[in-house]
Amino acid sequence: MNILLALIPISLVLLAAAVAAFFWAVRKGQFENLDAAALDILADDSKPRPNAPERTDAD
Amino acid sequence: MQDAATCFHCQAALGHAPVEVAVDSETRHFCCRGCAGAAQWIVAEGLDDYYRLRRTEGGKVDEAALDYSAWDRDEVRDAHCRPCPEGRQVTLLTDGMHCAACAWLIQNALAKDPAVAAVNANAITGRVEIRWNPGKTRLSALCARLAGLGYKPYLSVNEDYERAKRRERNSLLLKLGLAALVTTQTMMFSEALYLDTAREMSVATRDFFRWLTFLLCSPVVFYSGSEFIRGMWRELRHRQPGMDTLAASSILLAYFASLYQTLTGGDHIWFDASAMFVFFLLSARILERFARNTARAQVDLLARAQPAFAWRLNGAVREQCPIGQVRTGDVLFLPPGEAVPADGELLSDAVEVDEALLTGESALQTRRRGDTLLAGSTLGAVAGEIRVSHTGQATQLSHILRLVEQAQNARPVQNVWAERLASRFVTVMFLVTAVAFAVWWRIDADRAFSVALAVLVAACPCALSLAVPAAVSSAFDALARLGVLVLKPDALSKLADISDVVFDKTGTLTGGRTTLQSMATFAPCTETEALRLAYGLEAGSKHPLAAAFAGFEGAPAAFDGLSAIPGHGVAGRLDGAEYRIGKADFAAPGQADDGVWLGRNGQALAHFRLHDPIKPDAAADLAWLAARGLRSHLLSGDSSERVRETGEALGIGVWRARATPQDKLDYLKALQAAGGRVLMVGDGINDAPVMAQADVSMAMGSGAWLAQANADILLMNSRLKQIPQVFAVAAHMQHLMRQNLRWAIAYNVVAVAVALSGVVHPGYASLGMAGSSLLVTLNALRIHSVKP
Repeated sequence: MNILLALIPISLVLLAAAVAAFFWAVRKGQFENLDAAALDILADDSKPRPNAPERTDAD
Repeated sequence: MQDAATCFHCQAALGHAPVEVAVDSETRHFCCRGCAGAAQWIVAEGLDDYYRLRRTEGGKVDEAALDYSAWDRDEVRDAHCRPCPEGRQVTLLTDGMHCAACAWLIQNALAKDPAVAAVNANAITGRVEIRWNPGKTRLSALCARLAGLGYKPYLSVNEDYERAKRRERNSLLLKLGLAALVTTQTMMFSEALYLDTAREMSVATRDFFRWLTFLLCSPVVFYSGSEFIRGMWRELRHRQPGMDTLAASSILLAYFASLYQTLTGGDHIWFDASAMFVFFLLSARILERFARNTARAQVDLLARAQPAFAWRLNGAVREQCPIGQVRTGDVLFLPPGEAVPADGELLSDAVEVDEALLTGESALQTRRRGDTLLAGSTLGAVAGEIRVSHTGQATQLSHILRLVEQAQNARPVQNVWAERLASRFVTVMFLVTAVAFAVWWRIDADRAFSVALAVLVAACPCALSLAVPAAVSSAFDALARLGVLVLKPDALSKLADISDVVFDKTGTLTGGRTTLQSMATFAPCTETEALRLAYGLEAGSKHPLAAAFAGFEGAPAAFDGLSAIPGHGVAGRLDGAEYRIGKADFAAPGQADDGVWLGRNGQALAHFRLHDPIKPDAAADLAWLAARGLRSHLLSGDSSERVRETGEALGIGVWRARATPQDKLDYLKALQAAGGRVLMVGDGINDAPVMAQADVSMAMGSGAWLAQANADILLMNSRLKQIPQVFAVAAHMQHLMRQNLRWAIAYNVVAVAVALSGVVHPGYASLGMAGSSLLVTLNALRIHSVKP
């Protein structure tokens, strides 16, 4: 049962980290606009941009 | 992809001389330089995916009004931009955002500026929130960029209100997030206790787990659950126990009883049950609240988009001052084309104003010295001065806003009914719980508390009180996304019984681009000459008729002193003669009163017959209504010829021409007397009594909707296609509402019976209770899948 003494604190730390991450995200406004983010994936960002420097695989 | 006759950017119909610009190595046509500039910039910045992703047309780019330098002033910064770690934060309103692609474009366009740290554009609420470094980029530059893309920014008048809205939303999200994460963990620790069926766990380990769950459960109950605890407090103070009382007392009872059991080393704890209870209840509540808020945000939007500055006259000196500093008695200068900032008495001779926002009348109104100008109206081409009589909350506009808000807060009849039922149910359930406790105390004192708690939890009529509001608010939300605002909550329910649809005015069915059907000229005027004159006269006019002449190829006649006389026509001078175009008695007295006349010094030169085409989707939508067994009628004040044409083209059997408002009212009453339920579709102008007489009324119009508060439902982008959509959503809402009520009542009856028998643990009872609430809410959300 000694393993509990390690696992329970770990689970509590992970929980605290998850709650902190969520609070940070809400305060940063990550949930303000959930529609546009869905379109980002549809936007084609691999085509060469007239103004942008050429990307290489090393980037 | 581009239709030859529309602007590539805003998809407005092109005039006679479209701007041709090569965009991305293809020649595109634009209605103006502004739109061309926007498209060139979008493509150059690699944001051309916008054109692929968007679902509605873009906003027309205004070439003129791109100067926002006044917004860099200190007063604006202090009133509208609050400090944040990255610099400043501001919320702008814009009315041009129609779909997610707009939000995407705005976010990406503004984020190109290195000084901008974060942009959040929400297409549903019409808000753009920007965090940026004002030391590197000025606010005016960002606003000019927005305006340059066709999204005209406005500062919100009530920044505190915006902030409060956002705070409320964020605080709910935080509560839900905490509850979700921590409840999961609480359940895991409790599981260890449940799995110990043979009671082999040492007392020390057991108590260790109990204190752990207590530790985790506490923030869930007192932070996430504060919504319900505060609700209970409110309900008890008003001596009207409702759902919150039952929910909060179950939560607190489970929590404190578990604490007692932990302290005294009792057999059972219910910490997990109380945490789960909070989490599930909160999820259901948040879904419902968000749906309601998005519907309301649209109403706020245009109304709050008022000017942020006024020009105050200090003797002969004009000074710009924030709108909050304008006082009654001040004299204000009103620049042409700008919104009037406060109610006031006109000091200039005469001005024209667009009062669409207040009265729904889209034609310019003439106001003379001494008349009252109202805040929210927009000045025509002539500047003016007013002496302020009412500011801020005292203006007519604020009054209308309050009416709209009240309408939004009113609750539908079914909801009131369900709430009253739930309230009575709560009182009864407390008695039942007490009786259950007393009875079980005799049977098995050890289990009495557990059973009573299970009964209390199972009895919670959450599903019952959510059944109606969840369906209603998700219907409102679904409609708001389609550009339909429901102002009277009962309107949707009443739609189900509608038997007759009456279209008021031909204009609700027509309204495309007016074209020239035929013309007759009188010697010595030739056709070309007549067109040249007509085009010259109408060139600056915003009247729909002007579009008919815009197709003329060649140079328009150059008139001096053009003036538009509302309701009559346009007059102008050329080579010493006065030319007029418009109604017969205005342009060529003595001629027959139909069509449009062109006259020189009162002599008729030409007569034009104009054709107002039927809206492209009108026929399909009327057929849809007919297929549902709804009779369509057309009542119009127009000449019988035009009404007959429209009626026949669309297959409307019953039509009446030259109808006065009284005729329309009588017609409606006759229909209703014969047992018909009437839906009235109009443009909301001058027809308040007719609209009020109908069982349900719909008004069409863009921007002008506010004043149409006498209509139950507003179609904000004037598309007839929305009528079938509203019907479909309303029918679906009724269906879901009934389904929800049936399910909720059945659940409560069965759950209480089972709980009374003592076979359920309170935790499972809470799962069932929360499950039923969630089911009801999720069921209501199915409304978004309606495709008429």
